[in-house]
Amino acid sequence: MRALLNSLSKHLLHHQSWNGYWEPVVQCFKPGWREGYFRAQVKHVQVFAEQSIELIIEPEKAWPVHQAGQHIALTIQTNGRLLTRVFTIASEPQLARQQRQIRLLIRSQEIGAFTSKLTNLRTGQWLNISEPKGQFVMPNTARSLIMLAGGSGITPFIAMLKSIPADSKQTITLLYYAKPNSHWLKDELEQLKQSLRNFDYHLLERSKDGDATTWLTTNAHKHWLVCGPAALYKQAAALAKQLNTPIDSEHFSAVPAAVVTSDKHELTLTHQGKTFTIDNQQTLLTHLQANKQPVTVGCGMGICHQCQCVKKQGIVRDIRTGELSDSSEQLIQLCISQPVSDVELSA
Amino acid sequence: MNTTKTVNYEKLAAQLDSVKADVKSKLGEQDAKYIRRVIVCQRVFEWSGRILLMLGFIQPVLWLVGVLSLATAKILDNMEIGHNVMHGQYDWMNDKYINSRSYEWDIACDGASWNRVHNYEHHTYTNIIGKDRDFGYGLLRLSNDFRWRIKNLWQFVTYLLLSVLFQWGVSYHEMAAERVFFGKKKDDRDYKVSHSELKKRFFSKGARQLVKDYLLFPMLAGPLFLWVLTGNLAANLLRNLWTSTIIFCGHFTGEVETFNQQDCENESQGQWYYRQALGSSNIKGGNLFHVMTGHLSYQIEHHLFPDLPAKRYREIAPKVQAIFKEHGIHYNTGGFFRQYFSVVKRIVRYSFP
Ligand code: FES
Repeated sequence: MRALLNSLSKHLLHHQSWNGYWEPVVQCFKPGWREGYFRAQVKHVQVFAEQSIELIIEPEKAWPVHQAGQHIALTIQTNGRLLTRVFTIASEPQLARQQRQIRLLIRSQEIGAFTSKLTNLRTGQWLNISEPKGQFVMPNTARSLIMLAGGSGITPFIAMLKSIPADSKQTITLLYYAKPNSHWLKDELEQLKQSLRNFDYHLLERSKDGDATTWLTTNAHKHWLVCGPAALYKQAAALAKQLNTPIDSEHFSAVPAAVVTSDKHELTLTHQGKTFTIDNQQTLLTHLQANKQPVTVGCGMGICHQCQCVKKQGIVRDIRTGELSDSSEQLIQLCISQPVSDVELSA
Repeated sequence: MNTTKTVNYEKLAAQLDSVKADVKSKLGEQDAKYIRRVIVCQRVFEWSGRILLMLGFIQPVLWLVGVLSLATAKILDNMEIGHNVMHGQYDWMNDKYINSRSYEWDIACDGASWNRVHNYEHHTYTNIIGKDRDFGYGLLRLSNDFRWRIKNLWQFVTYLLLSVLFQWGVSYHEMAAERVFFGKKKDDRDYKVSHSELKKRFFSKGARQLVKDYLLFPMLAGPLFLWVLTGNLAANLLRNLWTSTIIFCGHFTGEVETFNQQDCENESQGQWYYRQALGSSNIKGGNLFHVMTGHLSYQIEHHLFPDLPAKRYREIAPKVQAIFKEHGIHYNTGGFFRQYFSVVKRIVRYSFP
C-alpha cells in the first residue's frame, strides 16, 4: 500500500513520498507530525545540579516499546531547524507500557547547541523520536553480571535494573565511574539496592579509586556489560579478551571533539565508505578533489549549491561567515565548509 | 559594458554582506512556518482545482474556477516553493523534503538539470554573454552583443511562442545549449552531468509530465476525461505565460546591462554584487503579487542573495536600495506594466540590426 501510494505520488505529484507530500497539511492538525518518525509529547523537563537534564516524554501509541538498554534518536525543532541526537532511554519498558512514558537523561555541558535547546522545551510540546534501536540489552545468561558505567553511560543500566523483577536470582554489581560530585541518580540507585535482593553498586571516581582493572580481574568469571566513553570500553574489552570473559558493550563518541583553532591539525574524513586523513586548513571540496573523489562542483563560492552533500556527523565551519555547524546530520556545501572535527559524509 | 569606475567595491561588498548577515541571524521559526504554510495553500489549490475541473459538466463556471485554482497551485509550486527551495533557501531547516536536493517541481523541466544550469551558470555568470545561457535563451537577440540574423526579424513571435511553451522551452534550452541534441561540443566547458544523463532526464521528466497531465489525471476522471484534459492544458498555459512574463520582466527590461567574459575574471565580491545588481530589475506590487512571482519581483535582491528565503527580500529591499543610491548604482524598479512594456520594447528593438 505504502509502495503504491509512493509510486502514485512520484508520478502524479512529483513528490518522492505520499506522506511527505501531505506532511505540511497534516501538521496543521497534528503538530510535530513527520513522515518516518514517531511523535512524542513533552511531559516534564527538569535540570539537575549534576549537569543533567531529565526529559520525560509520552510517545504516541504506535511507538514500539523499547527493551531496557536500547536508545532512540530524538529530533527537536528549534527556531525552525530540525536537530537530531541519539539518547539511551533511562527508564524501564514497564513504564512505557503502563503509563506511556519514557525518560531521557541528558548531559547538559555538551558543546553545541542541542542540550541548551532542550531546557527551552515546554510541557505539552511535540517532538519526534525514532523507533528503539540497539543491541545493548540484558544478556540471556544465568551468570552474575558486572555493569561498568562511565559518566552518562549509566542510563542503560538504570533502565535494565528497573526492569528486573525484585526477586531475580541474578547477582548484579554496578561499578559507576564519574567525575567528582557528578554521579547521577544516587537516590534511585539506593532505592534499587533496597528493592532488588541481589544488587549492589559502587560509586567510583577515577582520581580516587583508580581504573577498573582490579574490579574487573577479580570478577573475571562474571558476564560484563560496559557502557561509557571509548577509553573505558577499550580497556574493558582488552581485559575481557585476555581473561576470556563474555562482554557486551556500548560506547559513545557522540560528541566529536571539536578543536576550534586556526592551527593546522589532522582530522579524518569519511566519504562513501572511504576514509582519508585531512587537515583543518582547506575546504572539504579541496580535500575530496585532492583525493580524487567524484564530486559535483559549480561555482566554488557557495552560490550554486551544486557541491551539496549530506554530512552524517562532524562539525564544519562556513568559511564565509565563520559559523560552526551542528554535529548531527545536515546538508552542507562542500566548497565553503572547512572541517573542524572528524567528518563523515554520505554518498 | 562600460562600468562607472567610481564605485567603491569593497565598501559595497561590506555593506551588502552585512545586510545578508543580519537577515541570516534572524532566520528561524517564522520562515519555516511560512514556507510550510505556502505548501499547504499549494495543496489546497491543487486539489480543489482538480476536483472543480471535473465538476465542469454540472456548471462550466466551476471548470473555469478549477483552471484558475490549478494554475495558481502550479505557479506557487514552481515559483514560491520550487524555485526558492531548489535555490537552497530553506536548507538550513534540515527538513527531509523541503531542501534543494530532494525537491522536484511540477514542470516539464527536470529539477536536478535545472538546478545545475540555473543555479550555477545563470546565477554565477549573470548576463555574461557566452556564459549565461539564460540570456535570451539562445532564441532571442536582446543586445548588440549578438550578431543580427534574419530570424531576429520575427523574434517577437518567437517570444510569444516561447511564453506559451515556456516550461518546454526552459527544459529544452539547457540541452540545446549543451549541444546534447546536435553534435558540436564546446570544449571549454566542464560537464557536470553527462549528456546521456541529461537527455535521459529530459525525456523521462518530460514524458512523465505529459502522461500525468494529459493521460493519467484525465483517465482517473473517467467519463470526464475531456474536462480534465482541457483544464490541465489551460492551467499549464496560464502558468507558462505568467512565469515567462515575470522572468522576462526580471531580466530583459530595457536598462538591464550585459557583460563580457573579461568582466568576471578575477572579480571581487563587490564587483560580483555590482554585476548582479545591473543584471536584474524589480517589479513593484502588493504582497500577494510578490508571493505569486515567488518573490522574483525582487529580482535584484534575489540575484544578490540567491539563497536567502525569498520572503525576506521584502524587508531588505529598502536597505539595498539605499546602499545602491549611496554608490550611485541604478536600482531598476517599476510597476508591472512599465517593466513589461520595457521588455517588449527591447525585444522589438533588437529585432532590427
Ligand atoms: S560549488 Fe557552488 S555552492 Fe559549492
